[in-house]
Amino acid sequence: MLEVSEKRHFTHHLYESIKEANLPIGEMSEVEDKQDLLKKLLSGETILLLDKQTKALSASTKGWRDRGVQETTSESVIRGPKEAFTETIRTNTALLRRKIKDPNLRVEAKTIGRKTCTDIAVVYLEGTAEKEVLDQVKERLNQIDIDAVLESGYIEEFIQDAQYSPFPTVYNSEKPDAIAGGILEGRVAILIDGTPNVLLVPALFVNFMQSSEDYYQRADIGTLVRLLRLFCFSVALFMPSLYIAFTTFHQEMIPPPLLISLASQREGVPFPAFVEALMMELTFEVLREAGVRLPKPVGSAVSIVGALVLGQSAVQAGLVSPAMVIVVAITAISSFVFPAYNMAISIRILRFPLMILAATFGLFGIILGMIAMVFHLCSLQSFGKPYMAPLAPMIGKDQKDVLIRLPHWGLLSRPSFFTKSDQKRVDSKSKER
Amino acid sequence: MYMNIYLKAITLAVCLLLLAGCWNSKELDDLGIVVAVGIDKTEDDQFLLVTQVINPSEIATDAPTTRPPVSIYETTGDSIFEAFRNMTEKSPRKMYLSQLRVLVIGNRLAEEGILPSLDIFYRDHEFRTAFFVTIAKDTGVKDLLKVLTPYEKIPANKLMHSMESVQKSLGSSKGIVIDELIAQILSKGQNPVLPGLLIEGDAEIGTAIENIEKIDAPTQLRVDHLAVMKEDRVIGWLTPDESKGLNYITGDMESTTVSYPCDSEGLVSVEVLRTDSSSKAKFEDRTPSISIELDLEGNVGELNCPIDLTKAESIETINGDVEKKVKQKMEAAIKAAQEDFGSDIFGFGSLIQRKNPDYWKTVEKDWNSHFKELKVEIQVKAQIRRKGNSTQPITIEE
Repeated sequence: MLEVSEKRHFTHHLYESIKEANLPIGEMSEVEDKQDLLKKLLSGETILLLDKQTKALSASTKGWRDRGVQETTSESVIRGPKEAFTETIRTNTALLRRKIKDPNLRVEAKTIGRKTCTDIAVVYLEGTAEKEVLDQVKERLNQIDIDAVLESGYIEEFIQDAQYSPFPTVYNSEKPDAIAGGILEGRVAILIDGTPNVLLVPALFVNFMQSSEDYYQRADIGTLVRLLRLFCFSVALFMPSLYIAFTTFHQEMIPPPLLISLASQREGVPFPAFVEALMMELTFEVLREAGVRLPKPVGSAVSIVGALVLGQSAVQAGLVSPAMVIVVAITAISSFVFPAYNMAISIRILRFPLMILAATFGLFGIILGMIAMVFHLCSLQSFGKPYMAPLAPMIGKDQKDVLIRLPHWGLLSRPSFFTKSDQKRVDSKSKER
Repeated sequence: MYMNIYLKAITLAVCLLLLAGCWNSKELDDLGIVVAVGIDKTEDDQFLLVTQVINPSEIATDAPTTRPPVSIYETTGDSIFEAFRNMTEKSPRKMYLSQLRVLVIGNRLAEEGILPSLDIFYRDHEFRTAFFVTIAKDTGVKDLLKVLTPYEKIPANKLMHSMESVQKSLGSSKGIVIDELIAQILSKGQNPVLPGLLIEGDAEIGTAIENIEKIDAPTQLRVDHLAVMKEDRVIGWLTPDESKGLNYITGDMESTTVSYPCDSEGLVSVEVLRTDSSSKAKFEDRTPSISIELDLEGNVGELNCPIDLTKAESIETINGDVEKKVKQKMEAAIKAAQEDFGSDIFGFGSLIQRKNPDYWKTVEKDWNSHFKELKVEIQVKAQIRRKGNSTQPITIEE
């Protein structure tokens, strides 16, 4: 009897000493549950089992091939860091840590996915990020019970506020500087293992109009570019519907020389303007989609077919009017101006209902559509923050970094709609000479 | 329950979309864009309607054919509206009237009274009120609208631009839009004037494309001087000088020229750059009179007589001569209106009405005869600002 107890005592002693001192490996943890043990084993950890011990030791010895940090492909910039997140979550947290060396930067890990056990990290600045937002993020993440998470899109759909809105309420980016900027504003980043696209919440309408490069170029350039994006937003959204409305309902509003020119182009076009526009817009969407999917060597073939065959030949054959091709082209180019691809998609989708409204009611229809859109936008929320802030509700002191961008020495405080605490950004003395 | 409400809402919305049936939607290639309309009375007392419709593919094209840039349609009807609808028998497209530039009124109708026939142009929602109303002088409206014009492919545009440039730099005519015209016809204290349009050359030759193939187009359209109206009837025409005088008085003179022979020989021409006219009604013992003050600024435009412009007196002399010359024109206009036509085309009646409404009530009914007796004082102040690039005329030394 005594022998047994002595043996047990000995192994316990051994266990403790291994755990505390004898294994030079970081991230040792104890496992008591068989399910847990399997999970750890399957995610690449080494399990150390000792005879007569109810607990096992697990050492984090994960290792895998990864892609390495490369240049971003979907959000290219002229000036500013070009590195992009990778598929490995540890690399990604390291990329963020490298940018923000603040002791308050918190990385909270969890796993989601019954089968995939995907690692997820919630990254935020303690003391800067608002507690309500943080609680909401954690609560929404904890609620998720799904078998597999392969990309951040899975998580986004579970945690976004408006499930049926065409507008995105969760921001995503693959650029560490953009995400670090968001974290510094007091927002919360969600990193998901296996994808370079990192989520950032809360996400407001104006965030999708801004690019991290706005802050790297000089302030006046940044401001003008933002205004240009806003202009392109309206062009991308309204141009085809305005064309339809003006040419089929409000010819009296077109200056006479332009009307004559448009009328002469339409002579002999067999379709109504609406059908013509719809056809060309759809063709463009098809081309765009094909351009994304096609292997690179075939890509040039698509542009030739698209530009020459569909553009020029369609006009020469008299199927569409040249003005319509111009309208569609301007619209298409404008829709690529947005730094956020998901916002560009929503605008492209909304264009179609607006075109239908324009073809049915003319300008009246467009205005109706616009009013409905504004109502909808103002009713949206992202993690408790009004989506149109700081424009609606209007927050005067935050206008410094919305449509315009003041120089960095003028951006004294963090945007108040993201955080109320730790607002100070720049000491007003920094510019004194 | 919720589904039910959504379903109802969607059904209603879809119905709305379909039932609206693209109300009022017209494709551009279904429009006959009318740029000029001519109206007149026929001999059997019907309305004659002539429209000039553009042929867009001929105007904006890389490869012009021999088709004319505009076409003419002519119909008659008991009313103008009916005549417009009768036009569908001839024209493949419905007339689209928003881009109308010029309305030409024929002689017969102008003498009979134009007010009844203006109603449709004022009432119909399709018309913009920015088109000029004109009178076809000594010619039929159809002949006038049939002439193809050189340089400007659309004859109606030519007419409109000519009228604008005449008003802007000559001042012997002016464009009147329908709002102004109707307001002036209805006003008891003012009678309207209308610009005339003329054909120069043979009307028949002007209709053919050959007309514009020649460097000197044999048949051309011209903006003429102003027609004097009494209420809504044309009763006569002003001369070019009288027309200018009228524009000076009403303040519609933008820029013009004043030329006169100088004491010795040759001519002085002054470019009038800016005029500012103010008319006031005055009362002395219940007798109204009008005083007109005209300030005028100008440049020396052309000089052929031996005047030394470096001297201040010579500028003073020119100022005085210009004042005299302009005053003559204004007096000529007033004389013509008072003696020849007995029609207050200056709006003096309205000035008196504003000054003394009680007096106006006593003369309102018979204003045109009171107008004949009205005393008008004119004061002109001319100022020459610039002499141009030379101080002396170009002459051969003897």
